[in-house]
Amino acid sequence: MATAENDSRLIERVGRGDREAFEQLYKRFARPVFAMALRQLGDNGRAEDAAQETFAAVWRSAKSYKAERGTASAWLYAVARHAIIDRARQKRENAVEVPEEADTRAGPVERAEESWLTWRVHSALELLPERERVVIELAYWSGLSQTEIASYLDVPLGTVKTRTRTGLARLSGVLEEVRT
Amino acid sequence: MSDTPEFRDLVGDDLTPEEELELARVDSLLRSVPGPATEVPGSLTRAVEQIGTATPIWTRRRFLAAVALAATLAALFFGVGRWAGQGFDARATVQMTPGKNAPEARGKIELGPRDGATGNWKMRLVVDGLPHLGGTDYYVLWLAKDGQYAGACGTFNVDGRTTVEMTASYDLSEYDAWVISRAEPDAPWLLSAET
Repeated sequence: MATAENDSRLIERVGRGDREAFEQLYKRFARPVFAMALRQLGDNGRAEDAAQETFAAVWRSAKSYKAERGTASAWLYAVARHAIIDRARQKRENAVEVPEEADTRAGPVERAEESWLTWRVHSALELLPERERVVIELAYWSGLSQTEIASYLDVPLGTVKTRTRTGLARLSGVLEEVRT
Repeated sequence: MSDTPEFRDLVGDDLTPEEELELARVDSLLRSVPGPATEVPGSLTRAVEQIGTATPIWTRRRFLAAVALAATLAALFFGVGRWAGQGFDARATVQMTPGKNAPEARGKIELGPRDGATGNWKMRLVVDGLPHLGGTDYYVLWLAKDGQYAGACGTFNVDGRTTVEMTASYDLSEYDAWVISRAEPDAPWLLSAET
């Protein structure tokens, strides 16, 4: 199973111009980056642009990554966040009129914490074997019951429960590993 | 369809207390965050595959912005028309190298003095061996950095050996290549040169 340490090695290889490492890194983080961009920008086109900017920035600046300063996941999160903020800022600058209404959402600190937590969870999910990841995503975010998941995947109900338990246990370990 | 099943429905009830505590912690975490993206757009993957290769990065937004910038520069040039009928004071010449998609093409960029008031570089592009583009198609002269599209200098079409005068307001030392391509997403580089 890939680990946070492997992510660090991948980024270091990308810093030396290794395209294969770059492709691995993209496969590993494309969904978390795109999901975060989509959540914060609320628009597929902008999210795609921000995700692309993120990976272009990773390619350009991977050589500046220092493993001793923090985890690879945290570094990638910072790069993605920067690209997304740039896109959001452009959107604000292009806005003609800003409606005057009270902002009832969580404050910036809370939003940043939520964003970081979501990033960690989504990044950790990418490290699960496909069969466990799919079951967990269906269980928590599709609204399907266990029986419906079993039917959807065409596997016995017991298999769904086993994969869920194994996946959750594995996820617990991964989240502990990538914790900063 | 229903809400997320209860914890015990998900994992069963034959866990040890330690296992239950560990899994319940992850369960709680998963319930507190939104779901991940269902899939990554294929266009994003294709665009990222170009990063670091000898092809400029195009996104829908960048493409539109670049074309708008090129059109503005062209309008500025033709609107002002300061060089019309005047000799061109070339201070440096950059020879361009043809790419594999246009092996017969030749090109050079003559750089004039930088205008002290505006900061614009005067440039004259001479190209030969590129096919005339019909309809609304045209070529773009770009500045690139790290193998990626960075800024558009102007658009043009050709008819045999063609000379086009342009301006660029960029700090040329920040870029590492001049590139000519057709003005369309994912177009290959036809001519290029180091800045």
